[in-house]
Amino acid sequence: MYLYALLVTVLLIAAIYLAPLRSKVWVATGIVSLAACSAIALAVMAFLGGDVAIATFITPLFGAEHLSVDKLSSLFLLIISVAAVATTLYSKGYVEGYLKRFSPAHISLHYTALVLLVVSMMLVVMSSGGFSFLFSWELMTIASFILILFEADRQETRRAALNYLVMMHIGFMFLVAGFALLYSTTGSANFSAIEGYFKWAAPMPLFLILFAGFGMKAGIFPMHIWLPEAHPAAPSHVSAIMSGVMIKTGIYGIIRLMQAIDHNIDLLYAIGLVILLSGIITGLWGVILAAMQNDIKRLLAYSSIENIGVILIGLGVAAVGHAAGSNLIGMCGICGALLHTVNHSLFKSLLFFSAGNIYSKLHTTAMNQMGGLAKHMPVTAMLMLFATVAICALPPLNGFVSELLIYIGMFNGVSDGHEVLYAVGAIIALSLIGGIVVLAFTKLYGVVMLGSPRSTHVAESSEVDNLRIAAMAIPAMFVLFIGLLPQIAIRPVTIVAEAITGADHYIAINHFEPTLTTLSYVGFALIAIIVALYLLKRRAQRTREVESGPTWGCGFTALNTRMQYTGESYSEGLENIAKSLMKDTVDGRSVEKSEIFPAAHNYRVRHKDKIDSLLGGWWVVLMYRINLNVMRLRTGHVNKYITFALVFLVAVLVLTIVGIL
Amino acid sequence: MLIKLLNTLLMIAVAISITGVINRTRAVWAGRKGIRFFQHIYNVELQMRKGAVYSTTTSILFRIAPCVYLGAALLAFLFIPVADLEPLLSFHGDIILVAYLLALSRTALILAALDTGSSFEGMGAAREALYGALVEPALMMGMATLALFCGYSSFAEIFSMARDLDMNLTVVLVLVAYVFVVIMFVEAGRVPVDDPRTHLELTMIHEVMCLDYSGIDMAMIHIAGWLKNSIFAIIAANAISVAFCFHWWFAAPLAVLGTGIAIGVVESFRARNKLSRNTTFILTIVAMSALVLLTGFLLIQNIEI
Repeated sequence: MYLYALLVTVLLIAAIYLAPLRSKVWVATGIVSLAACSAIALAVMAFLGGDVAIATFITPLFGAEHLSVDKLSSLFLLIISVAAVATTLYSKGYVEGYLKRFSPAHISLHYTALVLLVVSMMLVVMSSGGFSFLFSWELMTIASFILILFEADRQETRRAALNYLVMMHIGFMFLVAGFALLYSTTGSANFSAIEGYFKWAAPMPLFLILFAGFGMKAGIFPMHIWLPEAHPAAPSHVSAIMSGVMIKTGIYGIIRLMQAIDHNIDLLYAIGLVILLSGIITGLWGVILAAMQNDIKRLLAYSSIENIGVILIGLGVAAVGHAAGSNLIGMCGICGALLHTVNHSLFKSLLFFSAGNIYSKLHTTAMNQMGGLAKHMPVTAMLMLFATVAICALPPLNGFVSELLIYIGMFNGVSDGHEVLYAVGAIIALSLIGGIVVLAFTKLYGVVMLGSPRSTHVAESSEVDNLRIAAMAIPAMFVLFIGLLPQIAIRPVTIVAEAITGADHYIAINHFEPTLTTLSYVGFALIAIIVALYLLKRRAQRTREVESGPTWGCGFTALNTRMQYTGESYSEGLENIAKSLMKDTVDGRSVEKSEIFPAAHNYRVRHKDKIDSLLGGWWVVLMYRINLNVMRLRTGHVNKYITFALVFLVAVLVLTIVGIL
Repeated sequence: MLIKLLNTLLMIAVAISITGVINRTRAVWAGRKGIRFFQHIYNVELQMRKGAVYSTTTSILFRIAPCVYLGAALLAFLFIPVADLEPLLSFHGDIILVAYLLALSRTALILAALDTGSSFEGMGAAREALYGALVEPALMMGMATLALFCGYSSFAEIFSMARDLDMNLTVVLVLVAYVFVVIMFVEAGRVPVDDPRTHLELTMIHEVMCLDYSGIDMAMIHIAGWLKNSIFAIIAANAISVAFCFHWWFAAPLAVLGTGIAIGVVESFRARNKLSRNTTFILTIVAMSALVLLTGFLLIQNIEI
């Protein structure tokens, strides 16, 4: 069985390496589509029937494990499959620009890693836990590490990739420790053993260890700092699949943990609070920092952190509500969280693809170099607008549906008197997040796509190839579908929620269906009203004088494009409030008040995460100090080294005699 | 159906008369005779008949944005009941939808402002985005307080009947109404947050975002502004009428006169805030609504114990 798997893997990798340079992408697409099709088939089987068992095997460390697809896995399999197909299709156009710069082996390695990433993510959500889970988790990390390293000739890329690798392994250590603890207590390292563990042993330590391990992947505060470094370094399609899907495997792990706690009310309550609180902090931190960024991909990375926060808020509301005895709140929270997981994978891929289109034409991700791109890349602009509206959770697109479900859960908590204060806290956080997301993404879209160009590169840009547009249309279609027909999209989600909470999914269906059906009508009505108003206006204007002229400069006639509002100035107001969350690094000198006729200035400010320096700063300094002292022993004289060896041997001897060793 | 129609007609009446009341109040305080009560409608009608000038910098988004701005506000408007009347549309969770429809309309105008490439409009957009973001929690908490008292589901259910409330809760409801009126100051761009009559673009918020609009587009933006005003005015009036006299013939005039006179008086006697003080002002509203919610929660707990 192992042998066959190995053989197939080697053959597939060989196929990628042997294919001609331009066909490598098609081989990879073929493999990924095959995997996606079989994953979708398995998911559908699991939805219609019961769990599908694939294989059982004995692993060297933790004993019997198996691969199987249950309802939760199948939801994640669907997300992975859709994103994977879109990503590989998209990668063709994106990688084409690098074919001359890199060797064929480099390109092959990239596609191999992409295929491995997809397969390993599928294995992660199918594995029953223990060794196979850790193995595929590690495979996922390594594959994504190679993918980030695509532009390995840039120093920032190498640094970000290494940073990522180190952070992921800290998280991995937590997971290993957690599973080892689980195995040593219960004799099994499968997820199904966690329930027993929580009954017999102190549950909180294990939960926190695994939560930290999964949280590192998901980017939960304060373990989020790898995201804003890794995404700007990675190619855009890699960012899309990493941010859209890979970080969700962390969420998957957390849901698996919640599933195990279902019957222990006190524990569920405590854990719900932990999740809710970390969700609130993660969400707010992510969104505020997102609004400050002036680099497209950093902004998107922080917004991923924020969305993870929203998902956790949903899960926290579900756990607390369930513990308080309300199945309805539990259902609202969990359905909202699951649907938001799906939604985020769609619109975040779309946004990263748009960023990729821009990067491949302008070769920069600095927002303040752009402007007016909508005129040169109209289709990209339209798709990006879709994603922007969706991620701002505005009706009638899909982001609103999932946030609405979470809100309904929280408002039910308030009106039924279940844990009112927590519900109110979550309402405040979610509404503030919702408000600042609008700030962040109007900044992104406005500065990049609208207005007039801020640099000459913009004028040379043009629309990207059709295949990339087609790849982007896949998530865009789902965004529209979930947004306009939420009553259909919610059905599979409620079935998964039933499998997680054990509450009957008809509660949810009965409760959501009228709401979501009306919401769907409202969505269509909104579009109809807007279209009608626009047509009426056009019709009325046909007989009137409609002119065009320059933008009104408030009496100033020598306007130029440098006077536009930049991204930095756009978020200045928020910056003044949230100064304490960031550490600014400044290059150059700003214009001082005493300069009446200022000369040209070079001024560059970057807003860095304060957590970055808090976590990254002190221990590096400490290590440096320790190393400095250790270095004193390295004198370069052989006689001294021999003395050290002698001292060591004597010490061993003495310790043995005393009986310590 | 008749009730729904009555509700909608009342809402429209409220929407078009608030501006008139504001103008008249200001005129009375200034010792002027004032313009016609419905002058603002004549103005909009005039704009409807005009042509338009579009900036060459703008894209198609700029032309669609006023339609989104008006369309979203209009749809939100249809969910609001006048006291015990039934609104045209209603479903479980519509209080969230209304908040997000208003956010959609705001987003459309912000993007349109950025589309012109003007520094002034960028300024207005940045301010509007920030203030909109900060005021959102206050709005949600106001709604949560209503949900706490009245049993939540939708606007129609929250306001569907008069409730036998304790006197203490009455005070809280009046405070909720106050919070909604202040939120309206922010959302509608009124003194002390923004001054629609100011002549300097640098200090504007809402008005500066529509500098490049003219003709029908401008008319749409004005109409949407009236609709948004009336949404907040009616919710505030409903909150008060839950406590005192729960009938539409009480709530509708209260919405017009209460908010109209309040805004008129504030605009006559107060200057606009310094812009840097606006965030403090809005955060105070948020803190206040949190306090109101907490007080309400504690009071309810006491009564039930």
